[in-house]
Amino acid sequence: MQIVVVLAHPNGDSFNHAVASRVCDTLRAGGHHVDLLDLYALGFRAAMSAEEHTAYHGDTPLVDPMVAEHARLVKAADTLVFVYPTWWSGLPAILKGWLDRVMVPGVAFGFNSKGRVRPALTNVQRLVGISTYGSPRPYVRFVNDNGRRTLARTLRINTGVLTSRVWLGLYSADTATAKDRAAFLDRVEHSMASL
Amino acid sequence: MKVLVIYAHPVEGSYTSACRDRLLAGLDAAQHDVRLHDLHAEDFRPELSAQERTDQFASPDTKPDIAPHAADLQWCDALVLVYPTWWSGQPAMLKGWIDRVWVHGVAYDLPEGANRIRPRLTNIRRIAAVTTHGSPKWINMAQGEPGKRIVTRSIRLLCSRRTRTSWVALYGIDTADDRSRARFLDRVERFGRSL
Repeated sequence: MQIVVVLAHPNGDSFNHAVASRVCDTLRAGGHHVDLLDLYALGFRAAMSAEEHTAYHGDTPLVDPMVAEHARLVKAADTLVFVYPTWWSGLPAILKGWLDRVMVPGVAFGFNSKGRVRPALTNVQRLVGISTYGSPRPYVRFVNDNGRRTLARTLRINTGVLTSRVWLGLYSADTATAKDRAAFLDRVEHSMASL
Repeated sequence: MKVLVIYAHPVEGSYTSACRDRLLAGLDAAQHDVRLHDLHAEDFRPELSAQERTDQFASPDTKPDIAPHAADLQWCDALVLVYPTWWSGQPAMLKGWIDRVWVHGVAYDLPEGANRIRPRLTNIRRIAAVTTHGSPKWINMAQGEPGKRIVTRSIRLLCSRRTRTSWVALYGIDTADDRSRARFLDRVERFGRSL
């Protein structure tokens, strides 16, 4: 399978980086082709520019070459894996910006003659989210787990109802022990090995 | 009332910029004391940096580039966010403003060893969002309304227990006619007047 892993954590020595390494190693050992997009390391710009917004509804909404390259990878992928810390119950700005800038008309969706949105990412058969949460799970549920909803529902509308979803969360990460983290990495490996 | 308006849209002359102007007109008519931040015009950096992540529990005095924003958050009685809803949530620029400004010592305290935060922004009695959605309301409900819940739950929980929230939203703007757009602008101005 063609798999794109999107990683959104600023620190190279973060636990999220350890998770992404384990994801990539496991998937490659399983014979999959993996492209890792480490957004901070790539210097990805989160905010949509005025130029991009103006081009959004035109014929060439992909203005930035890096964004165009990411769009090309997404269009060729069977599986998208997102590895990120949940901040304020949502996606870190750099990952939200990746959706804002890469998932443009012609990539993630199109408009029909009535101006309604139609899905265009039907090549994606599986969406995987792996996130660390500072808060305990009941609190995450209470505030609506907004990052998860953005990927597992909003993005999934554009991949189609047949797209399966896998979600792995490390909750109460602020107080997680080394053992909890190691167990979570093993859980990630187990899940990726069975994709 | 002291009102802080945070505005995030890359293009001047956009419908969202018209919402901002009508909101300001309403606030002005009611003689509120208003401070405005136009995040794109200020060239606000939405990506939380590695250094900021490492220093997440450092005193806010060590973070001069967010100081004016932090001071305004602690000054205001009401916070109004004006933005277009993209991918069911705040644009990366606005999410990054939350990621970077709503930090330890400004928005909350996290006592040693705890994983539940304590709110600090008890000065904020009203939080409002003025926003547009491309898709109709039922789609946003199916998505789980992540952008709305970040406002009405995640960040609201850092304010006073009595903080009220208002959601001033235009749904289905992709297919909205001029009349409903004009009507919504009137509603935004009325909202500013009645705040």
